Formats: sequence, structure tokens, C-alpha cells
Amino acid sequence: MSARSRKDVRRDQLIGVAVFLVLWEVTARALDNPLTMPPISAILAALLDLILSGELFLALGQSIFLLIVGLIAATVIGFVFGALIARSQTAYWMLNPYFSALFVTPTIALVPLVLVWFGFGFPGRVIVVVLAAVVPILFSVASGLRDAPGDLIDVARSFGVKGEIPLLFTVRIRAALPVLMAGLRLAAGRGVVGMAVAETYLRLGGIGGLIKSYGAMFQTDYVFASILPLSLLGIGLVTLIARVERRLHWT
Amino acid sequence: MLATISKPRVLLPLLSLVVVVGGWELVGRSINPLLFAPPSVVAQQFAELLATGELQRAATITVQALFLGYALAVVAGIPFGIVMGAWERFGDILQPYLYAIFSTPRVVVVPLIIVWFGIGFEARLFLVFFWSAIAISVNTAQGVRHARPDLVEVARSYRANRVQMARHVLIPGAIPFVVAGLRIGAERAIVGVIIGEMFLQIVGLGGVIQKGSEELLPAKMLCAVVIIATLGTIIVTLLDTFEKRFQNWKGDAA
Amino acid sequence: MKDATVDVPAIELRGIRKTFALSDDENAQRVLALDGIDLSIRQGEFLTIIGPSGCGKTTLLRIIASLILPDDGEVMVEGETVREPGLKRAMVFQTFGLFPWKTVIDNVMFPLQVRNEPAETARETAMHHIRQVGLDRFVDAYPHQLSGGMQQRVGLARALSTGADILLMDEPFGAIDAQTRELMQEELMRIWQEEQKTVVFITHDLDEAVLLADRVLLMSRGPGRVRETIPVELPRPRFDYDVRGHEGFAKVRGHLWQALRNDLVEQRAEETS
Repeated sequence: MSARSRKDVRRDQLIGVAVFLVLWEVTARALDNPLTMPPISAILAALLDLILSGELFLALGQSIFLLIVGLIAATVIGFVFGALIARSQTAYWMLNPYFSALFVTPTIALVPLVLVWFGFGFPGRVIVVVLAAVVPILFSVASGLRDAPGDLIDVARSFGVKGEIPLLFTVRIRAALPVLMAGLRLAAGRGVVGMAVAETYLRLGGIGGLIKSYGAMFQTDYVFASILPLSLLGIGLVTLIARVERRLHWT
Repeated sequence: MLATISKPRVLLPLLSLVVVVGGWELVGRSINPLLFAPPSVVAQQFAELLATGELQRAATITVQALFLGYALAVVAGIPFGIVMGAWERFGDILQPYLYAIFSTPRVVVVPLIIVWFGIGFEARLFLVFFWSAIAISVNTAQGVRHARPDLVEVARSYRANRVQMARHVLIPGAIPFVVAGLRIGAERAIVGVIIGEMFLQIVGLGGVIQKGSEELLPAKMLCAVVIIATLGTIIVTLLDTFEKRFQNWKGDAA
Repeated sequence: MKDATVDVPAIELRGIRKTFALSDDENAQRVLALDGIDLSIRQGEFLTIIGPSGCGKTTLLRIIASLILPDDGEVMVEGETVREPGLKRAMVFQTFGLFPWKTVIDNVMFPLQVRNEPAETARETAMHHIRQVGLDRFVDAYPHQLSGGMQQRVGLARALSTGADILLMDEPFGAIDAQTRELMQEELMRIWQEEQKTVVFITHDLDEAVLLADRVLLMSRGPGRVRETIPVELPRPRFDYDVRGHEGFAKVRGHLWQALRNDLVEQRAEETS
């Protein structure tokens, strides 16, 4: 039952990737149906074309901008309502049910409403990202601030920190940081989904729009070539936050 | 004690419901009842959709695809997860692909699903099944691999053989992880069925939303959204409760 | 006691040496954890092992239990060399090691189930030992419903139910509050005298080491070696009188503390230089 060493795992995974790519290439060439399964070489060529034409970076730039604005908005909103829910029982029982419902409702189901109410412009797209990402942040803020370590609060009080607001900034937020980062990590994953939904359903734009328009033209190699950077964007963002999160754990 | 907690539990959500519904009604009515769909208009629409049977038909289609896809995901996901967990090398090699697929928003995979499966029932089923199955197998594998080392040692010290080890230590230890996978898989399945109905074949509750959008009828969309949210809440709450029952199975080995 | 084998030591260790690798790389540096341990434990003896943290106490016990194998040397149980866990030894774990999904009775029955004993007799044996540790009212409780002290009683009942002659106890009361610990010590003494077991008991608590033992084994660290063994000749049963006030108790305890203290001071000097 002993765990395998990191080195072994890495080596196996590299071999795995190599085998996978070769198998794909061979199968695709044998099938000779670029619509359903373009060979790896064609996908790489499409990727290179997207990079050289500047199309990919333009799209990625639009997407990342939307994502960042959306995540910042979600963080601000999540923080305000999360703090409210954590510090007030009344607010908890009055607001929590709506956020719980929002959490289980697929963002995609809400997008047509956003379209009707807010239009397909930038504000509408930001709202979609917020709808996707806000609840994990809100819940993490709420639980992080609710379970504030009583002993640390007492320490701060005994050294003369008075009042809810100073306590919030000296102790509570710092103590809740790991939980907040975990929430942000979840939110980032969902935010990428929201971003893609907004870009494919509202006005086509960014990397989501790129994928959809190549899909409409049945250029499967280009579809694959543009999904790849989007996946990497999501994974990269989540990994980055997870890394920060790990450094924040002081125990 | 109990009375002081349980009273606001019922009263406050009710009060806030009244405030939200009332405020929405007033504001919606005064601006544009068609566009902002105040609750009275939604209720009227709801009754209409029920009367024509459109809503029931849509819900049946959605629930069928959802349950069949999810059931397949459970049946395939658990054994596959066990294999991934027990055969560690296989699991390690597969993990990055599953993670990458799982992290890719499904709306952008829709073009690929169209060229592979078309836009019919199979395509929708795949959207439900595949991501749900990944969630279930990855969690199951984790459960199989993360047996508590202290309990493994206890069993070893009492000379348990491989079968006994699996029966008394590994399988019960993995159950909380499997159940967590079932919940995450269900969440994925619900999103999957709606994406399929909005982007592939315009049917089911997702289809009702899509048609409402084309007819510029927010009230119609809201009817479907409410049903989806309720369905989602019920399924996730049930699995959540189920999951909590196994919480103290995880314990901690100090 | 079995008269024919009375001269054979319950446990005999010959030249036990154990190293650990510092990483899972094959040619990684290895540290010496135990170096040339020789030890003989009489049948029916109560041996406590004490030493500074990191001296390899637990490693030694796991080697005696055959949960890990030494690099060099031999473990003999009642005269026979052993290389895997056996029926004559039963282990009690520091973190209790109870299955959270099994009730008290099922936890205690586990070793018997593993041996495929008929359910009926297994149940009877388990009940007997549950009664022995005073948990008859909690037969169907789950571990998380029990306090730490009660959980370790289950651990003890489980070890007893195997019928093993030798109990290997790894800081069994370390995670239990001080007052409950005293009660548990008293009970363990009573059971040990009733059942005539051989006990190897690891502890980091000086009082506990002296209080329970026929003989205390003091280990030193870096690498783990036997520093000395000290007989404790206090009258038994020891809980009938104020054993801590006994002159012999203070003498052994004082001697042990001096030796331990020297070790700790040396360690600090090494670390700060």
C-alpha cells in the first residue's frame, strides 16, 4: 500500500502522455476523418496558426480581462454578504436560502435572463461570471469569519484592540485567510466556466467565442487548438491559488 | 434553547421571502411587467404551462436524461475508480487527463460533442454521464488510495489477509469518499443535462428556457429555472445528508 | 504458567539494527535508528521502555510486533524466530486504532473474525473481555461516541480477546487525560495480574514507567541503544498503598531522571552548537 515516489509518478505520466499522443496521431490518420478526430499534428498546426495570427492572444486577453473583472466583483460582493451572514443571525436566515439555491442552479440556466435584463454587453458578461463565482467566496467568507479563533480574539482584546471593525482587520480576516483562499480557488474554477458560458451564449468574444465560431464552421482541429489554452488557463489559475493557499497555512 | 433557534429558522426566511416577492412585484409591475416578470406574472405563466402540459413534458424529458446518465455514471464510475485506486500506476497516468477534462467548461466542448454524437439523446446523455462519471471515479480512487495507515497497521498486526483487509479496512474507509463523489457527480449531472437541452436539442427544461429567451418571455424562463433550482436543491440536499452520515468514518489518525 | 517452557524468554532480541532512508530515493542517505539492541524479556514480566523522543522506542516495539523487519538481528518469541505478526503477540496502539465503522463489540471481535472463529464463540470471548474492561453498557456504541479513555479500553479488550500471551503497548495512555490515565494504569495492573501476560509498555512518562514495571528499560538516542535496565522491586499490588510515597519509587525515579536529563542536555548542546 506504500505511496509511489514523485519521481516514479512523473516518469509514468510522461511516458503516458507520449503514448497517448502517438496513439492519437496514428488512430486519427488511420480513421482519416478530420471532422471527428483531427490528428495531433493538425491540432498543433492550428494552434501555431492561432498564435502567429495573433487571434489566440487577442481572444485570451479579452477572456482574462472579463475573468479578472468578474472575479474581483464576485470577491467584493461575496465579502460584503459573507461578512453580513457571518456576523448576523438575522441576515443568515434571511439571505442564506437564496445563495444556496443560486449555488445549485446551473449558471447556464440563468444566462438567458441576464441577456434579457442586462443585455449582451460587457456588464451582462461580468454578471454571468459573478453569478457563477460569487457563492463559494461568500460561503468561505461566512464560515471563515464565523469560526474566528476565540483565543486569538481574546489575545487581541487583552492587548487593547477594541471594537468589531479593528478586530475584523487585525485578527478575523488574517485568521480566515486559508479558508478564504480555498473559496477563491473554487470560485476561480467556476468563474472560468461562467466566462466561457458568457462568451458563447451572449456576444461571441474571447476564447469561448473563438471555439464556438470554429465549431460552427466544423473546423475541429481549430476547436481543439482553442480549447487547450482555455483548459490551461483554468488549471493554471486554480493551481496558482492553491499554491498561495498552501503557503498561508501556518500550522 | 430549541424554541429560540427554531423560530427565526422558519420566520426569517418567510419574512425575507415576502419582502423579496413583494418588492419584486411592486418594482416589476411599475417598470415593465412583461420584461421584469413580477411573481404574479410568473405564477400566471406557470399555470398556463401546466395547463398545456408543456412543463410536465419538459420536466419528464430532463429527469429521464438526468437519471439515466447519472445511473450509468454511478455504475461505471465506482468500479473504474476502484481500479484506478488499486492499480496506482494506472491511476497516476490517467489522473492528469481526467483533471483536464473536468476543468474544461462544458459549453466549449459542445462543438466536439456535436461532431461526435450529433445533437440527439445520446449527445445529451454523454454530457450528463461523462463528467459525472469522472467526479465519481476520481473520488472513489482517492478513497481507495487514502486508507488510514494506522488502521492498515492494526489489521496487519492481527494478520488480516488481502481480502479481509479490503473488507474491513479499505472498502469501509473509501465509502465517505465515494459518497462525496456521488454528490459532486450529481451537481455535474444537473448542469450537464441543462447544457445539452440549451445547446444541442432544444427540449426539456433547458429547452423551455431557450424558447423563453427567443420569445422574450422571462416569466417562462423563470418557471423552468425555479423547477431546475428546486430539483437541484432536493438532489444535492439528499446526497449532502447522506454524506454527513459518514463524516465520522473518516476520523483522524492524530 | 506453562511449566515446560517457563525458562524460555517470552521475547528475545539479538543484535537488532534498523536504519531508515531520509527520502524514497534508492541511494538516499540512511540514518541509524536502532543499533545493536539485545534484550530478553521473561514470561509474565512487565517491562516498560522509556527514553527521549526520537530514541526509537516505537520502532523497537514495531519490530517486536514484526510490523517492520530489522536490517540485522533476530526477534524470537518463546524461542522461535519470527518474521511476521503472530498470534502470540497483540498490539495496543497509541491512537487506539479503532475502526470508526464498527461498534465496540465488532471492533473487539475483529481479530477473531480475521482468524475465522465461529461467530458464536467469538462473540462470547469478545463479551468476556468487554466486561473485563468495564464497557458492558457500551457494547453497541461506535468509537466516536466514547471518550479517549473508553476507546483505549476497547483497544485493550481487542488485544486481550486474541488470547495472546504477550501485549505490546505503544504509549497506550499517552493521549488520555491525567486522571483517567491513573485509573487505566490501575486497571491494567489488575488485568495483567489476573491474566499473567507478558507486557512490553512504551511510555514517555517517568512516573508511569516506574509505577507499572518489573523492570524499566532506558534507551538513549542517536542511534537508539539500551542505556540500562533497572529492576523495580516495589511490593505488589501497588495500588493498595501510596506507591509514589515509597522510598524505592523515589530512588528509581530519581535515577532515571538524572540519566534522561543528561541525555536531553547533551541533545540541546548538540542542537545549539
